[in-house]
Amino acid sequence: MLEKLTEMLADQLKMDVSEIQPETNLKDDLGVDSLDIFEFIMACEEEFDVEIDTDVVSEFTNLQQVADYLQGLQGE
Amino acid sequence: MQTQITKLLNITYPVLQGGMANIAEHNLVAAVSNAGGLGIIAAGGMNAEQVRAEIKKTKELTDKPFGVNIMLLNPEAPQIAKVIVEEGVTVVTTGAGTPEPYMKEWLEAGVKVIPVVASVALAKRMQRCGAAAVVAEGCESGGHIGELTTMALVPQVVDALDIPVIAAGGIGDGRGMAAAFMLGAQAVQIGTRFLVSKECIVHQNYKELVLKAKDIDSVVTSRTTGHPVRVLRNAMTREYLKLEKEGKSLEEMEKLTLGSLRKAVFDGDKAGGSFMAGQIAGLISKEQTVAEIIQEIVEETKVVMKERVATFTE
Repeated sequence: MLEKLTEMLADQLKMDVSEIQPETNLKDDLGVDSLDIFEFIMACEEEFDVEIDTDVVSEFTNLQQVADYLQGLQGE
Repeated sequence: MQTQITKLLNITYPVLQGGMANIAEHNLVAAVSNAGGLGIIAAGGMNAEQVRAEIKKTKELTDKPFGVNIMLLNPEAPQIAKVIVEEGVTVVTTGAGTPEPYMKEWLEAGVKVIPVVASVALAKRMQRCGAAAVVAEGCESGGHIGELTTMALVPQVVDALDIPVIAAGGIGDGRGMAAAFMLGAQAVQIGTRFLVSKECIVHQNYKELVLKAKDIDSVVTSRTTGHPVRVLRNAMTREYLKLEKEGKSLEEMEKLTLGSLRKAVFDGDKAGGSFMAGQIAGLISKEQTVAEIIQEIVEETKVVMKERVATFTE
């Protein structure tokens, strides 16, 4: 899951996967803005066939949190 | 001039007035609706009871449909969302985020929700959660902006959605409206041109700055904070951009902008005010009534479309 997410985000931001660690801060370290976040979240929804609640989107600060959340959804 | 949007909103012309905070109040809103467009009260910077009062005053001036624009970052947004339902407002446009927390309540009350979007992904999400249409707003607009231009954003959003799209950003005359239709939009949203209408309550200095503005007179501040804003350049923006370049803290920069929109709108403070306006300000050269503006734009659109289409299809 985490590996796939890293790959997807790296692809979106045109970065190397090695630049993105599970705990890397999306906003402060990667310069991800609100448009990027929604782009990424929509891609995640498509990839993993889930619906992500908007309220939680603003709480994501790194990929580990996104992965944990998605794993929780898939476990349901 | 019937489009999906005139039918959806029950208006005569496919022209919406932008929800300019501190500017779009009942006088302007009622004038736009009475002239056949859709006036929109800007709830940005207001509390819920102020919004209720504005809605009531607008109803006294017009029996035509009008809308309310909510800035979702406004801490009063949940209360304002309720006021909209209680007062029977039929159209809501939303900015600065996603209206998903309020969608259920609004849709049940029959409110048509039209989010302002700056990207295809957000537009798709809005369609999925029940939006009746979206405003695709390019960065030519005044105030808070996204990254894409209207020319690039509108056709991409049109292609991605099944619901109608309203184009905004850089549209100030019939040529702009005709271009928006060609890109696939079903209506336009106009802010800057209405700023200088006779019914608009902004300080005369604000109107003069817009009327005198040239094509290159707007600048974008706050890019570093992630919330870029387009304003007419003045002493305040020069100082702000200097601090921004020096990497000063947000707190330091906010000292300059705190209350600066109100200084522009109400005091006409040319040096310290934040005179939000779009890039199209350079094209706008006269103060007219709202009805004159709408009629002129609509008539020009018809002429432009007829003549241009004839030129290229002969």
